[in-house]
Amino acid sequence: MDLALTESQEMLKSAARTFMERECPRQVLLDLDRTETGISPEVWGRLARMGWLGLAIPAEYGGEGAGLLDTAVVYEQLGRGPLGGPHFSSAVLGAQVVLECGTEDQRREVLPRVAAGEDILALAYTEPDYGWGPESVKMTARRDGTDYILDGVKLFVHDAAAATHLLCVARTGDGSDPTAGLSVFLVDRSEPGVSVRIMSGFMAGLCEVRFDGVRVPAGAVLGEPGTAWSGLNRAFLKAAPVLCAYKVGGIEAVFEMSVSYSQTRVQFGQPIGRFQRVQDHIIDIVNHLDAARWTTYEAIWKLETGRPAEASVHLAKAVASEGFYRACNSAHEVHAGIGSVRNYGLVLYTKASRSLYNYLGDPKFHKRRLAHALEL
Amino acid sequence: MDFELRYTPEQEAFRKEVRAFLEANIPPELEEPVDPANLSYEQYLMRRELGRKLGERGWLFPTFPKEYGGGGLPMELAVIIEEELDRYGLSLPPYYNTGGTLGAPCILVWGTEEQKRYFLPPILKGEVRVWQLLTEPGAGSDLASVKTLAVRDGDHYIINGQKTFVGSLHGADWMWTIVCTDPNGRRHENLSWFMIPADLPGISMTPLDLLTAGGEGGASPGAKFTVYFDNVRVPAFNLVGGENNGWKVATTHLELEHGGAGSIRRNRIVDRLIEYCKTTCRNGQPLSKDPDIRDLLVECYIDAEIGRLFNLRNYWLRHTRRPRTYEGPQASLHRKVSGLRIAEAIVKALGPYALTNDPAWDPSGGHLEVFHRASIVATHPGGTIEIQKVIMARRIGIGRAVREEAGTVV
Repeated sequence: MDLALTESQEMLKSAARTFMERECPRQVLLDLDRTETGISPEVWGRLARMGWLGLAIPAEYGGEGAGLLDTAVVYEQLGRGPLGGPHFSSAVLGAQVVLECGTEDQRREVLPRVAAGEDILALAYTEPDYGWGPESVKMTARRDGTDYILDGVKLFVHDAAAATHLLCVARTGDGSDPTAGLSVFLVDRSEPGVSVRIMSGFMAGLCEVRFDGVRVPAGAVLGEPGTAWSGLNRAFLKAAPVLCAYKVGGIEAVFEMSVSYSQTRVQFGQPIGRFQRVQDHIIDIVNHLDAARWTTYEAIWKLETGRPAEASVHLAKAVASEGFYRACNSAHEVHAGIGSVRNYGLVLYTKASRSLYNYLGDPKFHKRRLAHALEL
Repeated sequence: MDFELRYTPEQEAFRKEVRAFLEANIPPELEEPVDPANLSYEQYLMRRELGRKLGERGWLFPTFPKEYGGGGLPMELAVIIEEELDRYGLSLPPYYNTGGTLGAPCILVWGTEEQKRYFLPPILKGEVRVWQLLTEPGAGSDLASVKTLAVRDGDHYIINGQKTFVGSLHGADWMWTIVCTDPNGRRHENLSWFMIPADLPGISMTPLDLLTAGGEGGASPGAKFTVYFDNVRVPAFNLVGGENNGWKVATTHLELEHGGAGSIRRNRIVDRLIEYCKTTCRNGQPLSKDPDIRDLLVECYIDAEIGRLFNLRNYWLRHTRRPRTYEGPQASLHRKVSGLRIAEAIVKALGPYALTNDPAWDPSGGHLEVFHRASIVATHPGGTIEIQKVIMARRIGIGRAVREEAGTVV
């Protein structure tokens, strides 16, 4: 047993922290938050040059081949920002979907461009009947000669506005088994009939994506048509803990922010941290932090070492999503007025905690999966 | 990162040795009663006997220095002993011995060489069982305000006062006791610790009639007492850690008691609950198929997993001598609050079956009923829920002007 990071992981962590401090100070993050995509070409280019868009992509496909734990180490630091934008959707989730569902040729064609940051992927999976199980995909792709025609609406799609390519999941076969008949289509966003609209509200980067008679060749299907679910599921299980690590970083930042504020904000003649009502909130935050941290890293360890990891991944995603959400609530209690001033920065985390709450499945979804994994 | 305790072939050979030893030395009658209050005197004596046998080999306090009667073993081998005992539902030591498990590290950190040589071998070899005596009627959460008084008289101290909510079934050999040695002294600068032989004249006790006697991890005490000191003469040699230096000694004691010791064990009650709900039918289907009960079981499982990971982390932090701040009380806090949540979930899932130990209808052989009572009582030993939060806040650096450091542990 050794719960420490290795020396090289510590170096990676410190490099990522330094990167965030230098390249993404609060004002930069606030400015990025006001953009549609959550990212600027400059920051995106720097992420690519650091190799972080290829972390979870094997070396033979142009990535770093770093493994999930290294990827998580970096994502924890990105979450501390929090740095928004399509990096997770493209370089982690999107890349894993291509890796797990695509043919060897498709991997070789797509992944090096993703790792280099030249192409940006977004997974168009969820629909108006929102959900992350296989049964939630109802959109169909109609065969027409050697082509497919895509028609339908994908909703709450993360980072589609920043994407160059969409990974659209649709049904190419039917039957009573919802896991059968799913296909992933790699669609260039500039194809006629594809329209992406950023959705308004207290969320970052979520989009409505419409496919209006979009014609794609059979070669756009990743792998064998109708067999995508098992690959998608593997990709989800590997990507989810990385997203959890991002949330761990977010909670950690919110914790430090709240500690520091409660040490310096004086009311009734003393720092508000002396008040036990205020302490309660900060203790709640640190409990969420450590619960999210250790469930996340144990899940990653299980995935990396080939152990059965399903229950642990669902556990981590439920704990980290709820934890980030509630930690932000508690931080707002500690900060009161100043916390809701956008420029102060807390709202960036709060918005991320909400935007990412449902990404890859909300806590209820993962708890149900966990019940299933426990054979309840 | 590696979350699994891994073993070399040499360590696995050690496991075989431990397993064979336990098989040969654990009689079936030693089995833990469902309600710790029912531990018989015979079972207690068997446990003490097992303790002595473990102690002879240095396996009772495996990581403690050999020169004082410990095993001098690395963490990995200590874990093996604990894992093997856990197969029998036993912990290390296999009986309530908080004055030993918490007192011995204090003596090791704060005692003189002579005191270490005198007090440690009997504890570490299992020759004595030691209670910790901290709480008083007027000093619970505010431990530093203890009033039991020790007054110097030549080579002795004369002790008067009372301790309550202390002890366990079937008596003690020694009592590890915090007292006031300067009633006019400044707070935190007027306390001292004594190791007191329990058979000294002037010591008497009366049992408390409690909902149940919970413990702070380890073997359950089964009962609690009020102990009275009436002009008890204790050799001055038995004062450990220096006169009026007792609060510093207490930081070591309390750090371990507040969850800092960590644990590699998992909470069996949730496993039992899940198993029970999978195998028990109501209205024609297993309880676990009821969607509300499934939700409850998942929440209990999550609580248990978080608790397991906090304890595992603390165990690792302690045995690798890594810096700690709030982690001990965090684990303790989680255990206390999640215990209440789990107990409530069991009531919601099972209804009145959660509360009965009626032999004709009890679903769990008494486990759930005992757990329910214990979950309530467990919120206070070793510091209330509120005290855990107070300590966390100090360690985080917000409770006081200067951040409080974690106590030194071994």
